[in-house]
Amino acid sequence: MVNILAACGAGVNSSHQIKNALETELSKRGYQVKCDAVMVKDINKNMIDHYDIFAPISSTSLGFDIDIPVVDCGPILYRIPAMAEPVYKKMEETIKSLNK
Amino acid sequence: MNSLQNALFEKETVFIEDGESKEEIFKSVAKQLLGKGLVTEDFLDNLLEREENYPTGIDLSVINPNLPSIAIPHTESGFVKTRRIIPIKLIKSVEFKNMIQPDQKVEASFLFMILNDSPNEQANMLADIMDFLNQTDLEELKSFFELNEEKEIYKFLATKF
Repeated sequence: MVNILAACGAGVNSSHQIKNALETELSKRGYQVKCDAVMVKDINKNMIDHYDIFAPISSTSLGFDIDIPVVDCGPILYRIPAMAEPVYKKMEETIKSLNK
Repeated sequence: MNSLQNALFEKETVFIEDGESKEEIFKSVAKQLLGKGLVTEDFLDNLLEREENYPTGIDLSVINPNLPSIAIPHTESGFVKTRRIIPIKLIKSVEFKNMIQPDQKVEASFLFMILNDSPNEQANMLADIMDFLNQTDLEELKSFFELNEEKEIYKFLATKF
C-alpha cells in the first residue's frame, strides 16, 4: 500500500478532489494507494513522515525539509484528462521509484 | 440538473460587484453574507488570509482561450454556516494569484465563492464547478460570463449547472 498525503489551504475542497482522483485513477492502473486530505497548516514533520508521497496543489513550503517525494497535483483540479495525465504519469513514476 | 445541484444556488446570494481589488470585493460580499447569517464574524479575515497563502485563481484559457479567468475563494468550514456556491460577477476584472502556479497571476472577472460547512461531505463543489465549465456549451458559457443581472445569472445556473 502506498500512502499519499494530499493538502490544500482549507482542506475541504481541493485536497478532497485530488484524493478522490488519485485513489480512483491509480487503482485503475493497478496500484494500491490510500490518500488522506488535510490542511497544509496542520502538516508537521511527524505527520508527513508517515506517508510515502506528498501531493500538494502546487509547490508548498511547510517550514521544514520534506524527505518524501513531492508531486504537484494542481492540474487534476481542472478535471480535464489531458491536463491530469502528466500528473498521473509522474505519480506512477514516483510510486515505482519507492520500490514498495 | 438535480435537487442537490439546485440547492447549491440561491437567488438572494448572487452578487454583482464593482470593487477594484479582491480585498474590496471580499469585504462587500462577506458583509452581506454575515447579514444573512451564512458565515461567522471571522469569515472575512480567514478568507483574506487563505487567499493570500493558498490562492484560488483559475486560468480558463486552457479550456478555451475565449473564456475569462475565474477564482473560487473559500475557507475552512468552521467559518461557514451553510453549503452553497455564491456566484459573483465582477464589473472590473481583478488580479488573483493562480491556484496551481502561485507565482503567476490571472485577471478574474467571475468568482464562484464556495461555502461548505460539511468538510466530510462526499460531493465536491469544486469538482461540480469545473464540470459545469468543462461541459457547458462554449457559446452559452461565453454568454453567461457577459450577463450583468443577478436574476439572469441565477436563472442560468439554476437550469444549466
